[in-house]
Amino acid sequence: MAHDDERDVLIIGAGAAGGAMAWSLSRRKVDVVCLEQGDWVPPTLRPKNHLDWEVRARRSWSPSPNIRQWPSDYPVASYGDDPISVFIYNAVGGSTIGYAGNFWRFTPSDFRVRSLDGVGVDWPIGYEDLAPYYTINEREMGVAGLAGDPWSPPREPLPLPPAPLGPQGQLMIEGCEKLGWEWWPTEQAITTRPYEGRPACDLKGYCPFGCPQGALATVDVTYWRKALRSARNGVDLRTNARVREITLHPDGRAKGALYYDAEGRLREVRAKVVVLAAGGLGTPRILLQSTSSRHPQGLANSSGLVGKNLMVHVQTFVIGRFEEPVQAWQGTWGGAVSSRQFYETDPANDYLRGFVMSINPGWSPLNLALQVAPWGANHHAAMDAHLNHEVVLFCCGEDLPEERNRVELDWDNLDAFGLPGVKTFYSFDENSKRLGAAMITKGTQLMEAAGASGVRDFGISPALGWHLMGAARMGSDPASSVVDADNRAHDVSNLFIADSTSLATGGGVNPTSTIQAVALRCAEGIWERRRELG
Amino acid sequence: MAMAYDWRKEEYEVTRPGRTRIDYRQEIGRAHVPIGIEREFAVLDPERAGALRAWVCTLIPARDERPAAGDVGAAEYIDATVFLTPRLRGVLLDAIDTVEHMAQKLTGGQFAEATPPERTAVLRAFAANDPLDAFPMVRDLTYEAYYAHPLVLDVLERETGWRYEVAISGGDLEPFDERLLDRMRTVPPRWRNA
Repeated sequence: MAHDDERDVLIIGAGAAGGAMAWSLSRRKVDVVCLEQGDWVPPTLRPKNHLDWEVRARRSWSPSPNIRQWPSDYPVASYGDDPISVFIYNAVGGSTIGYAGNFWRFTPSDFRVRSLDGVGVDWPIGYEDLAPYYTINEREMGVAGLAGDPWSPPREPLPLPPAPLGPQGQLMIEGCEKLGWEWWPTEQAITTRPYEGRPACDLKGYCPFGCPQGALATVDVTYWRKALRSARNGVDLRTNARVREITLHPDGRAKGALYYDAEGRLREVRAKVVVLAAGGLGTPRILLQSTSSRHPQGLANSSGLVGKNLMVHVQTFVIGRFEEPVQAWQGTWGGAVSSRQFYETDPANDYLRGFVMSINPGWSPLNLALQVAPWGANHHAAMDAHLNHEVVLFCCGEDLPEERNRVELDWDNLDAFGLPGVKTFYSFDENSKRLGAAMITKGTQLMEAAGASGVRDFGISPALGWHLMGAARMGSDPASSVVDADNRAHDVSNLFIADSTSLATGGGVNPTSTIQAVALRCAEGIWERRRELG
Repeated sequence: MAMAYDWRKEEYEVTRPGRTRIDYRQEIGRAHVPIGIEREFAVLDPERAGALRAWVCTLIPARDERPAAGDVGAAEYIDATVFLTPRLRGVLLDAIDTVEHMAQKLTGGQFAEATPPERTAVLRAFAANDPLDAFPMVRDLTYEAYYAHPLVLDVLERETGWRYEVAISGGDLEPFDERLLDRMRTVPPRWRNA
């Protein structure tokens, strides 16, 4: 079996966190090798390069690995009262290749949920620890927006101006102003001007379906371009590399990883430091696969919490229908305008924590037809009533960690190399259900204030599975967490887990910005302790 | 955030690999069938092809400028899809034969020759007892073939104003006007100091 000489750092996963870490370490001339299960996404695979993009989005670009079945995918089965509709991509760039680029910072209260509200857990770090890394990340990703939102602490200006409002943004502002609610242009990882070699967004919309020109800050066009740029210091990125297990030295330190290459040959990489950044399901999958006599329940799992405390957010769409056409085809998906009016805990509510609401254009024809147009004689009338007459309010709220919500290995459904798939189990608790009901009530109120003549919503179940967090969480106590405040595994001194799984709680906003800030902070910590680590 | 896709509230299912029943959504995931090109049937014989064309025309009938689904190749699209997904061929063939049998019982004639109300009655009865999910499969594929067809998209733009080509060629919007934030800039800090 072939293996290389020992490298400085092995990163497993080339997504939001892995890409950021690879860039951060490689610019310091650290010798980095990265194993990515998937491959680069070719332009032809991106639906938006084709007229039939809506159909391709249901098939070869489906966010469900069970449907699209890329060679890099593993099966994911969903169970529980509120089973997760899983949205993940295994590719260079990870799930950012199919995201919309909402780029929120968490707020200070998001890190102190237990202290402030008596639920969930506190993070071992606070907003102030991440703030410098949020700033670096916004610069490197190219984030559009405006500083000054009263719902966020003071911060530096963003590198790009906010996205255009569009007719939907105007409607949301009108609704907020009527209700006296507060709003702000959404921070979005989209180039509203040419930026670092990337062109300005030309508002094709429907961003998750493969931004054709790289205006959407997917990690393959941001961090990876930079990390690979230098032939001398560039990262050794190996695609189609399926990690089977993380290996250990006799003294218990991580030695590297065994993986299958594209041809199915078993390979080994050895490194002084191993960083796991394989995503909300991929990371616990690899840890649970990495069993040994020393770690019979999986690596870094002395707490028994690897795979547990999975969080997905409470999410829904509230859709307003307007009598007049609303130019529903244009604008960024991610939402030009948002409101955090109900983001912080309010003792008057029947739930704790809060949520954000962001306005989007309307659904495209096929997507809309599948939602609202019955077959038969009334089909066209339904399309007339809804197409170009709707705007879509995305609502996202905090869902607190619970051990019963979890990831397990699925040995009944294997990937192409005989490695197990995963099973997820998910059920919302009463707080999340009440918060979800409030999101729908407030979203409906907002749409009606904006002038909607009808409002519909998606409910909160099945759980939308875009934000998969917490299954190897950060904490100070090894009995109740998997990694410490620096993302180092409590059980393995040179193993770091630096992706969404390390988030102790999930806030009430899209988490990519925080995932990457955590990863950049982790990378800096590795750099500062490089002599200790080997 | 990524966009929710194909979320049908009444019947949404989370996919589960390994389920014994064939899940047509998983079967068609890797099957790409171009839309808007003329093709012949590859799986269905002429009689079944006629029945399927009548079926898709019942799902989406013509109205004014909008063609029926059968007029933009939806039946051929379904046939081409199951050609690429052999496990679904039997599902489709059984479904067409069952619909045909039900039409014979209800009308005494072929499904394709039934009146629109009779076809609707047959399909409703079929959908009510459809253990293989053939009905939602045919419906979803029909909607795909219809709403990705250039002819249909052109008519939709004329009749509803929904501009499909912007998703491909780009659009233009006014830049954000910061003066809109005048009130918001007077709002005191709302975030909780932790």
